[in-house]
Amino acid sequence: MKIENTKAQMRKGVLEYCILSVLKDEDAYVAEILDTLKDAKLLVVEGTIYPLLTRLKNAGLLNYRWEESLSGPPRKYYGLTETGKLFLKELNTTWSELQNAVNLVTSQKTTKK
Amino acid sequence: MNKTVNINLAGIFFHIDEDAYLKLQRYLESIKRSFTDSQGRSEIISDIEARIAELFSERVIHDKQVIGIKEVDEVIAIMGQPEDYLVDDDIFEDDPKSTSFKKSAPSKKLFRDTDNSYISGVSSGLGHYLGIDAVWMRLLWIILTIASGGTFIIIYILFWILVPAAITTAEKIMMTGEPVNISNIEKKIKDGFDNVADNVSEAAKNVSKSVSGAAKKGSSSIKSSSKNFFDTLADIIMFFFKVIAKFIGVLFIIIGASALVGLIIALFSLGVADIVHIPGIDFIDIANSGNTPIWLISLFVFFTVGIPFFFLFYLGLKILINNLKSIGNIAKFTLLGLWLFSIIALVVIGIREASEHAFNERTVEKQYLQIKTMDTLKIKMAENDLYRNSYRTNGFKIANNQNGDKTIYRQDITILVKYTTDTIATIGIEKSADGRNYEKAITRAKNINYNYTFTNNQLVLDSFLSTGPDNKMSDQEVVITLYLPLNSVAYFDKNTKDFLNHYSNNDNIISSKYTNHYVKITEDGVVCDDCTGEEFEIQVDTPNIKIDEHGVEINSDGNIIKIDSSGVKAESEAVKVNINSDGVSVKSE
Repeated sequence: MKIENTKAQMRKGVLEYCILSVLKDEDAYVAEILDTLKDAKLLVVEGTIYPLLTRLKNAGLLNYRWEESLSGPPRKYYGLTETGKLFLKELNTTWSELQNAVNLVTSQKTTKK
Repeated sequence: MNKTVNINLAGIFFHIDEDAYLKLQRYLESIKRSFTDSQGRSEIISDIEARIAELFSERVIHDKQVIGIKEVDEVIAIMGQPEDYLVDDDIFEDDPKSTSFKKSAPSKKLFRDTDNSYISGVSSGLGHYLGIDAVWMRLLWIILTIASGGTFIIIYILFWILVPAAITTAEKIMMTGEPVNISNIEKKIKDGFDNVADNVSEAAKNVSKSVSGAAKKGSSSIKSSSKNFFDTLADIIMFFFKVIAKFIGVLFIIIGASALVGLIIALFSLGVADIVHIPGIDFIDIANSGNTPIWLISLFVFFTVGIPFFFLFYLGLKILINNLKSIGNIAKFTLLGLWLFSIIALVVIGIREASEHAFNERTVEKQYLQIKTMDTLKIKMAENDLYRNSYRTNGFKIANNQNGDKTIYRQDITILVKYTTDTIATIGIEKSADGRNYEKAITRAKNINYNYTFTNNQLVLDSFLSTGPDNKMSDQEVVITLYLPLNSVAYFDKNTKDFLNHYSNNDNIISSKYTNHYVKITEDGVVCDDCTGEEFEIQVDTPNIKIDEHGVEINSDGNIIKIDSSGVKAESEAVKVNINSDGVSVKSE
């Protein structure tokens, strides 16, 4: 049992949820998503996100459009599909439940001590 | 001074140093290899290329600027190592089983090596797994296939279906048993590059960098997982368990495979023979009185016996190979259902078969033989070509009769003798057979053909019964009862011996020891007129021991013991003892 692995697993478990949340209000291209996630220290390296985005897109939760960029190659702007929005709603509920549960369990532990 | 190359990354033009270019190429290649096509590899790669192009554009201030190693290193640091791309599958994979290969355990896994394959890579994959050159594995397959009459191909196909192909670099490294880390992946990729020969030293430098990176990670993991004595002990015990488990797995595979091969051979030879009607095989058809098609029975037997062995084989493979593809629940339950169905079908067939023998019925014919008191009746069995050896067997035999029709023959003939106070002898022929009901049994009994001739006081009995193939083998029997007048004399030929009872009893006054003699029928049984006591039957004649009607002689290395009508003789080299009509004499030299 390595602490690094557990940490990474915890982070990555919520990564899908976070990506969907970033795209909740407005479409974004990869660098923007990455900036948000990196600011929140959810991501250390960028590579992780590409297979994830492809997976979410293939699952029909995301779609994208191309937009020209002045400073570089054309950008893929990702947005939520209808299924993606439903999926996100489900995840929101699950997350708050989970949060409550974890809070409850961890606070119990501390009060017992 | 450095050579530069021009590259087009996601539609953007860049000048790049050659060494930086090679590094970038290797980086992209190693990422590419860590994905499979099913994961949307080409799309992921083009996204990554686009992102790298973007990162480069941010770093290029004017058109003439060249991208060097520094920029590439920066970009790689941002994007992450191939391992970072890999790990994410661990958590998100739907099927938890298939992710096991991504843990960097240094154990070997069985994959099909499609890069070095002739057919499907099974042999080279097994070769990697067992540490044997693939050539030997192929040779083994060919030998086994020939030796098993081609049925081993089925086993090969099972391997083909159940063992996954090594697609990603990580899988390919797993296959050869090296631990999966960045340096190995890079090494593997480098094997595929011939054009880097000019830059070997440069490449080596890069490798050493990434290796040191990986080594840092590795050493920290070693420290954190340092074990105490008991952990090590547990590991050793676990190792032995694993070895035993693998051994059992191999055993399962061997048992399962050989049973399957045997069954398939049996199924084909029986089933095909039944359908195309190879002569000689119809024996089974006639034996099968329930009239169920043989191919159906053999198919049911095949499923009933074969399916458990298939699962044994599968279990063995599963023990050996942790990354085995599942055959799926549908297949499992279909096989289970098929198995249960086959068992039930066999039971039903068995009951039908048994009910064919539920009734045993007999018909009796009686005829008079012109034998009067004081006459001599000679009884012998007819000569025949069908049963050449003189031993009687109760087995059935299928042959064509003189008209060319298929006929069932059997030697289940018994001769009983009784005395009668009538002045004339009678012969009773009792035929019996089994059947599902009374009518069927009686018809089958009536359909038994049995003949005898009686001329000049000589009764010649057939030594077999015959019946048509439609009657099946339903335990047909013929019992001949001879009622002989008192004081008549009978002579049973030697060849009747096997058809007579061994002992006389209330129903039968003659036993097989009276053959070849004239016997007189009396109320108390038979009286033998010319019997000279029990006949001597033991005859031993070897160089050292000789036992016959004259006596016993034992000769061992010059020491002789001889007992015969003249007396007893015992001789050794030094002493001679003689007991005869002259008395006892002992001579010693």
